[in-house]
Amino acid sequence: MIHFSLMDAYRLGIGYIRRRFQRTAINVTSIALANSFLTSLALSDRFYQTYSAIEGGTLGIDAYQYWLVAVALIVSVVGITNAMLISVYERTREIGTMKCIGALDQHIVMLFLVEAVIQGATGGLIGYFLGVLAALASVGFTTGFDIIFKVGSLDLAMFLVGTTMMSIILSIVASLYPAWRASKLPPVEALRYEL
Amino acid sequence: MSYDTVIELRNLLRYYQMGNENVKALDGVNLNIGRGEYVSIVGPSGSGKTTLFNLIGGLDKPTDGNVFIDGVDISQLDAYELAWLRCRKIGYIFQSFNLIQVLTAVENVALPTVFAGTPTNEGTRKAEKLLEMVGLEDRIHHRPGELSAGQQQRVAIARALANDPAIILADEPTGNLDLNTGMEIIDLLHGLNKSQGLTLVAATHDLKMIKASDRIVWMRDGQVEKIEKS
Repeated sequence: MIHFSLMDAYRLGIGYIRRRFQRTAINVTSIALANSFLTSLALSDRFYQTYSAIEGGTLGIDAYQYWLVAVALIVSVVGITNAMLISVYERTREIGTMKCIGALDQHIVMLFLVEAVIQGATGGLIGYFLGVLAALASVGFTTGFDIIFKVGSLDLAMFLVGTTMMSIILSIVASLYPAWRASKLPPVEALRYEL
Repeated sequence: MSYDTVIELRNLLRYYQMGNENVKALDGVNLNIGRGEYVSIVGPSGSGKTTLFNLIGGLDKPTDGNVFIDGVDISQLDAYELAWLRCRKIGYIFQSFNLIQVLTAVENVALPTVFAGTPTNEGTRKAEKLLEMVGLEDRIHHRPGELSAGQQQRVAIARALANDPAIILADEPTGNLDLNTGMEIIDLLHGLNKSQGLTLVAATHDLKMIKASDRIVWMRDGQVEKIEKS
C-alpha cells in the first residue's frame, strides 16, 4: 500500500514555504489585501446597521462597492494561480524525483493544496484584522469607535470564520490547476528539465 | 557464478518520433541480469543507456518487447502498481543527486518511506541508520546546500536504500564528482552490492566503476554491442 498522510504533506509544505518565503509572502499579501477589503466593507455595513438600529437613520454601504470586492478577489485568485504555476516550473525536477521514488499523482496534488491552505489561512487571518481596522477607520468618525463593542463578539467571530474560510477556498481554487499540471508531469521529462 | 534472473529484457524496442524522423533509441535489446549482480552499462551518449534505465525503472513504456522485474511484465502494470514498483523494488541514484533542497538529509532519506506509508518515527529511524551506514551520522540535519557533492551523493544512496529495494539503478553516479570522491562512492556501492546482495545496474563512463563490476554491457546505437565478464 502506498500511503501519504496529511501530516507528511504539511511538513513538506512548511519546508517549501520557508524556503521560498518571498513568493509565499506575495501570495499571502494578495489574499490578505483582498480579504481585508471584503472584511472592511461587510463590517462597515454591519457597523452602520448597528448604529442605525440604535440611533435611527439609514446608513449603509452602496451595492456597487461589493462589485469592487468581487474584482479584488478575482485579481487575487489570478495572482495566486500565476505564482503557483511558477512554483511548479521551479520544482519540475523535484516533482520528477518524487515520482521516481514512488510518489503518486495524488501525492503531488496534495503537496500543492496543503501549501495553498496554509497560505489561504494565513492571508485570511491577517486580512481579517486589517479589515476590522479599516472598517473602524472608515466609519468610526460617524458612528463612534465604540461601535465595535456594540456589534457583539459573536458577529465578529462569525465574520472571522467566514472570511478566513473564504480565503482558504479561494487559495485552493487558485491552486487547483497548477497542482493538476504538476501531478501530470511525465517523470522522464521532468527529471531532464533544467530551469 | 550463476544468479537467478531479477531483470529480464526481451527484444526491447523504443522508438521516438522526432519531427519526421523515427529515432530508434533502443533497437532490440535482450539482456538478463541476475540477483546480486553488478552490471555496468557503457556506451557513448545517444547509445540508449538512459532510455534503457527509464524502461527498467518503469518510467517509460517500450514501443515493443517486454521488461520483466522479478518475473512480472511491467508493461502490464497500471500507474499505481508502477509507483509501488519504483517505491519498493527499485532505488534510483542520479548523476546530479536530485535531492529535495528544502528537506534535511534525514528527511530526504526518509521520503521514500513516507510514500511507502511507513510511520514517521520508523522511517526517520531507518533514515538515521542508513545515513550512519554511508558515513554521514554527523550531518543528518544538514540541508543538501550545506553538504559537499560527495556527501550529497551519499545521501542520495541512502535514500535509494530506504525501502530495501532489490535493484539499484545508478545513472552516472560519479559523473559530477572528483576522482577521490568518485572512488569513495564506487567503494560504497560495490560494498553494498557484495554485503547486501543488492543488484546494481550502473550506467557509467568511469573506468574504475567498470572495473569493479561483474559484467560490462557495451551499447551502441540502441543495441547491445558486446557483453564482457570482468
